[in-house]
Amino acid sequence: MSDHKPKNTTGTKAPKAYGWMAEYPDEHKLLEAARKVRDSGYTDTDAFTPFPVHGIDEALGIKPTVLPFIVLCCGFTGLCLAVTMQYWMNGVDYMYIISGKPMGITPASVPVSFEMTILFSAFSTFLGMIALNKLPRFSNPVFTNPRFDRATDDKFFLYVSASDKYYNRDSVKELLGGTSPDVLDEVVEDGSPAELPKFVWLGALLVVLTGLIPLMIVLNIRESFSEKPRFHVFLDMDFQPKKKADQQTTVFADGRTMRPQVAGTVGRGQLEEQDAFYLGYDPNDLAATVKMTPTRLVSLQDGAAQPPADAPATQPPAATDSAAAPATAPTANATQPPAAAPMPAAEAPEKPWLTELPIEANEANMKLGELKFQIYCSACHGYAGNGDGLVHKRADALAQGTWLPPTSFHIDRVKAQSVGKIFNTISKGQGKMAGYANALTPKERWAIVLYVRALQRSRDAKLDDIPVDKRSSLEEAGSK
Amino acid sequence: MATTANIASYNPREIDNTSDVPGHRAPLITGNQTYHSVTEMVCNVAEAPQPMLWYILFGFSSLTAVMFLSLIAFLLYMGVGIWGNMNPVFWAWPIVNFVFWVGIGHAGTLISAILFLFRQNWRTSINRAAEAMTIFAVVCAGIYPGIHVGRAWLAFWLLPYPSLNLWMWPQFRSPLLWDVFAVGTYASTSLVFWYMGMIPDLATYRDRSKTKMKRFVYSIFCLGWTGSSRHWLRYEKAYTLLAALAAPLVLSVHTVVSFDFAVSQVAGWHTTIFPPYFVAGAIFSGFAMVVTLLVPMRKIYKLENLITLRHLDNMNKIILATGSLVGLAYGTEFFIAWYSKNPYEGFTFMNRAFGPYWWAYWIMVSCNVISPQLFWFKKLRTSPFWMVVICIFVNIGMWFERFVITVTSLSRDYLPSSWGYFSPTIFDGLMFFGSFGVFMSLFLLFCRYLPTIAMSEVKGVMSSDAHAKHVQDELMGVHSHGHHH
Repeated sequence: MSDHKPKNTTGTKAPKAYGWMAEYPDEHKLLEAARKVRDSGYTDTDAFTPFPVHGIDEALGIKPTVLPFIVLCCGFTGLCLAVTMQYWMNGVDYMYIISGKPMGITPASVPVSFEMTILFSAFSTFLGMIALNKLPRFSNPVFTNPRFDRATDDKFFLYVSASDKYYNRDSVKELLGGTSPDVLDEVVEDGSPAELPKFVWLGALLVVLTGLIPLMIVLNIRESFSEKPRFHVFLDMDFQPKKKADQQTTVFADGRTMRPQVAGTVGRGQLEEQDAFYLGYDPNDLAATVKMTPTRLVSLQDGAAQPPADAPATQPPAATDSAAAPATAPTANATQPPAAAPMPAAEAPEKPWLTELPIEANEANMKLGELKFQIYCSACHGYAGNGDGLVHKRADALAQGTWLPPTSFHIDRVKAQSVGKIFNTISKGQGKMAGYANALTPKERWAIVLYVRALQRSRDAKLDDIPVDKRSSLEEAGSK
Repeated sequence: MATTANIASYNPREIDNTSDVPGHRAPLITGNQTYHSVTEMVCNVAEAPQPMLWYILFGFSSLTAVMFLSLIAFLLYMGVGIWGNMNPVFWAWPIVNFVFWVGIGHAGTLISAILFLFRQNWRTSINRAAEAMTIFAVVCAGIYPGIHVGRAWLAFWLLPYPSLNLWMWPQFRSPLLWDVFAVGTYASTSLVFWYMGMIPDLATYRDRSKTKMKRFVYSIFCLGWTGSSRHWLRYEKAYTLLAALAAPLVLSVHTVVSFDFAVSQVAGWHTTIFPPYFVAGAIFSGFAMVVTLLVPMRKIYKLENLITLRHLDNMNKIILATGSLVGLAYGTEFFIAWYSKNPYEGFTFMNRAFGPYWWAYWIMVSCNVISPQLFWFKKLRTSPFWMVVICIFVNIGMWFERFVITVTSLSRDYLPSSWGYFSPTIFDGLMFFGSFGVFMSLFLLFCRYLPTIAMSEVKGVMSSDAHAKHVQDELMGVHSHGHHH
């Protein structure tokens, strides 16, 4: 840095002169002198004062600054940037839906727009002032005068630069001398070395290079591949004091993290797995009739029809219910015989399906079954169970050719199915039909079974099936 | 102190310059100061060897700051669970402390900007220290939301920057985001304002420094300031512009902070009175902190002639006015809770005053409403000891105000089944205490290395006051001069 005081300016060659500088004890004398200098026609002048002296601008003929205009432009830029940013970020690129509030620019955009305007204005004010003043400037000829240190304390300096077009060394000296300054000095070139010593540069270079090392390491790690686990600066809950399934543990003697069920306890949902009301078959009967091997158990639970090795095939491998449906049938006519199915699969149940309804066949359950049937089943199967619901009609009309019609309830195969099997079909689905266990409670499903049974029976009903006291009303209806 | 013996104009006596005789204005600074004596007095703060008290205070506060930083490291390692924040009070001490410190950080810019625009020349003796206090308070304030976000190392996600990890933008309709912009703008603008104000005084420090190292460092920071009249012209224009920009900014910051609460639906928060009420509270607490710091500072560094009783008296009057405003706001909240017939508001305010946190509420009222009323007495307003006592009470009260607002409303909101009672942990307490360590360490370093009083501004006011007196004398009948320049 060159702004320290030169101890001795008597160098080898005559130092370059920059102008004259006069020192005054107070601002009034300075103002007087400044007016005199201005009136003499000098324009490349300046005053150096410890505080902004009132009236010095006029006395020296200093023009107003353009700073406010710069600030206005920058503030406006900040405002536009804030508005555009908020509009684009929240109104176009990433639209948050918050309580149905409008997107883009709303009154809620005011605070950020205001702050950004202020931010840009404030920084442009400061940086504009610095730039217009051509600061920082560490090397300045005025610093060569040791008395100049008082310019920031209590002394007032008036300076006429040698670069003024009317500058004449002697006449300026005479002019300033006539304003009765305390001291009159010529400003000369700084004789001290202006350059930083080499070791400072080397040191700075070393510091910068050292500072780059961590950055380079990070970049290297980011851009290269490694098979080691990544380095965790912050754990981010990646490591938690818990065991995952299939991990080993030292807590239990068997070393397994997953634990078997404790004897005498009932797990969540286990009751449903043990009750015929939820299953459609009695698991105890199943256990009694079938030799349980793991393969058998899995196949049963998956509903697959693969016969176990010890039970020879009594049915064709592909004889599932959906495969048995007549694919060639143009419409699901109830009267059409299922010629393609040699033996309905229902005749050889692999599970001991319930044959008796677990709910009472009363009017309330029948109504419930009717209601739920009409809501959930009739769309495909039709109100009468003929497999001619609206969905089917629509799909058939579109003549897709690939449309597989819903099963009619009045074909022999379905009629032969036990109630447990129908319950299972409603619960888990069959073929293309989805299961309805998530939409219907077990009781509702059983009620639908009841209703389906009623539909089936009504198709082939005889007069004897109708209670005696109801027959007359039926005959009346029929005679109309 | 031997160092002050050479300052001839130092007068340790408290001079009462608080009364104005009609036609004769009491001087702002006392002891027949000259430009040079002002320089001497201010530079002496940094140039003279620091008193033993400085070392004791700095040792204590820097240890406290180190404790605070260690606790932050511990918090980052363990997570925010070490605090007492627990359902239903998730906004507990961290937010209380944030609002407390941001509020304190309002006095500096208010003194620099608003009093500047109103041509309150007495601001020149106190604005630098107040601005420094502002910066340090905002530093303390900024720490809390940063470490409260859970994964503090990702706190930069608050900023709208294009991120390949997030692939999203901030939500600009959220007051919490406005807060990021408001506090960020306030912190950076205050820093610029403070630094720009210091440049001429740093040049004074540079020109008086005895060692090469000091001269080098001060040269860098004062940017080679010469005091050129052209520079002064732009500097003054820039200062006026910054003041005009900072004045609405300072009002906006605590307004936005209050939006954090007021824009929510919580009873006791969802009120339109919050912005003015928060701003008044912020000025109130900020001035209290300025007085608390300046009274010991002027005593220790023998600045009684520059920071005179008149300055302290004026600040205490502002504390009295804003304290009364805050008291009015408390009353208005209760009135509206009753007048609106909103049962939730009504319950919330009865719960504040008579619920499980009644003690916090009444500490707040007695400290914030009652204690500043003592400043009606001029004796107390001009007694350095008593004003510090009152101001400490004010700051205690203002902390409790934020506690009451945050915790009482959250602990009992609309769903009685989820009501709870907040209890802080030891870490809450230590980390609040620790933030004072950061604040005091920074302030003590400021006193030691930076110009504590805006010398150039004080000199400017001395000059214009002398000029005004001269003009007044002429008008008052000394006609012999004929015409003035």
